[in-house]
Amino acid sequence: MERLLAIWVEPLCEERPDGSTLRDYLRVLDVVGVLCPFVEPVRLGLCTLPLRGPSRFFGGDEAVFAAVRHNVRDVLGLEVSLGVAEGLFCAELAARQELVLASGQTTAFRRAQPLVALGHKELATTGRRLGIYTVGDFADLDAARVAERFSAAVRVLHRVARGELPELPGQRDTRLAARLRSARGEDAVRDEQAGFFGQRTAGDDRAHAAAHRVRHRLGPEGVLVARLRGGRVPEDRATLTPWGSPSRDQRDDAPWPGRLAGPSPMTSLHHPVAVELCDADDEPVRMGARGSLSAPPASVVLVRGSRRAVVWFAGPWPLVERWWASGRRRAHVQVLLDSGEAMLLSAEAGRWWLVGIYD
Amino acid sequence: MTGSGYSYEHMFAFSPPRPRLSDDLVATLRPVTLAKSRIVPLSEPWASLAPGGGLRRGSTVVVHAQPGLGGLSVALSLLSEASAKGHWAAVVGVDDPGVVAMSDLGVDLRRVLFVPRPRGAWAEAAADLLDGVDLLIVRPPSRPSHAAVRKLMDRVRERGTVLIALTEPSAPWPLPADLSFHLTSSRWVMSSRLDARYVTLQVGGRGEAARRGEHVVMVPDARGRAVAR
Repeated sequence: MERLLAIWVEPLCEERPDGSTLRDYLRVLDVVGVLCPFVEPVRLGLCTLPLRGPSRFFGGDEAVFAAVRHNVRDVLGLEVSLGVAEGLFCAELAARQELVLASGQTTAFRRAQPLVALGHKELATTGRRLGIYTVGDFADLDAARVAERFSAAVRVLHRVARGELPELPGQRDTRLAARLRSARGEDAVRDEQAGFFGQRTAGDDRAHAAAHRVRHRLGPEGVLVARLRGGRVPEDRATLTPWGSPSRDQRDDAPWPGRLAGPSPMTSLHHPVAVELCDADDEPVRMGARGSLSAPPASVVLVRGSRRAVVWFAGPWPLVERWWASGRRRAHVQVLLDSGEAMLLSAEAGRWWLVGIYD
Repeated sequence: MTGSGYSYEHMFAFSPPRPRLSDDLVATLRPVTLAKSRIVPLSEPWASLAPGGGLRRGSTVVVHAQPGLGGLSVALSLLSEASAKGHWAAVVGVDDPGVVAMSDLGVDLRRVLFVPRPRGAWAEAAADLLDGVDLLIVRPPSRPSHAAVRKLMDRVRERGTVLIALTEPSAPWPLPADLSFHLTSSRWVMSSRLDARYVTLQVGGRGEAARRGEHVVMVPDARGRAVAR
């Protein structure tokens, strides 16, 4: 099972009557979404993200934790509790106890939890009478015996206790997605009325009908639309969002200080690919603290393992990020390969990433 | 329409005398006003390379290039004028479109639908989109089959969409196109950064392709646009 980072924001667990809880929760999703697009809302006060990708990207689990804490604190002024475990059931418990479990530790952690952690009062009471105090004790009961004695709901909990199911029934708020959509929708509707599509034409309607068909065929992520927002480098300025999902139009044509000049890459990788950049001696090229390269690049090794000669390069252009991005430091370099292909690379967290191809 | 073999270009290559016509007859002449809209507009430098200065509805354009040498820029650049004029476009099979670069080319992103990863269903996704857009770019993820391509081109002709196929040597378009741009070489102009790129292309096609032969276009220029050299 995948290691999940659970982000638990206690002040947002109880809904306040003025609607501010939902709004604040949305902002938590937004600021965490900046770090990892796969953040998943679970219920008010709790969201998760798969840890593996971001951890690789930011250079370790700790870096991800720091970035999440920092972003939420900066934007909302709230402290978060973080926990890592496999499966939502254990990930939430880990977050409430602020524990980071390495892979393989989840089973022991789960078994040690008190029976009441399964969220079923009657089971906890009955369990006590039977001398069953922990989730592990309960898991050890024979499934047939559990089926005899207990209701269907408890049989499901038994499977959770045994690690056969990743989460408790009801752990997720099934109406949350719709509520978030409508909370965001208020913004989106305003945009459309403000004439985002101008006067809606028959052509617009036809295009929307076609997009519908493709979405039906390929699923909600099948058809995307593009938006531009502020930022200095192309991979930050572009957003592709599923067609039909409400989105705020963040177009921003104001000049950004330090924006990368010249043409932008025609292929812009939304998930950068790690590459190796080497000098003439085949040593890795490093970014120095003062924004210079350790040596001129001579070759680049792309993921497929193919080494390509670099015939020219430009940069580095260092970039110190906006305040909310927790001091992310990046630098960009353009390389021209002997094949005539030109690429945009980014140095971050001690690695080189392919972020664009000038196709 | 085009299937009847009737060419509107020939019909209006001269100015016919204008007799008084009965209402019935006037009704049959509606194609006159449609004739213009049978061309989807192109900006320079492409307009002077295409017959009629634009892309004929129902036609297929092939942009063929080694990956990474500018084929994507050329194909997306063909959208700019039309999307700015209110036409819808869709881009199928381009994984990570450079949205900023597209905007710099003059493409109005509000009227572009992206289907980046159609998986095995690129032809089906393309067919789904045909009724909804005026221009459709497809980059087949693998060698496209003769049958799938014929079916798609037939539907394009029937619907009056313009199909722009972006292909590479490992997966060529298996049927002749109405208009083709084969990129033969590209050369970057550099200063302290990449400034601009000259792309050499061989223009061809069936029928009266306006300017067959070799042409050089700058795409992108320093501001990310396509311009004649």
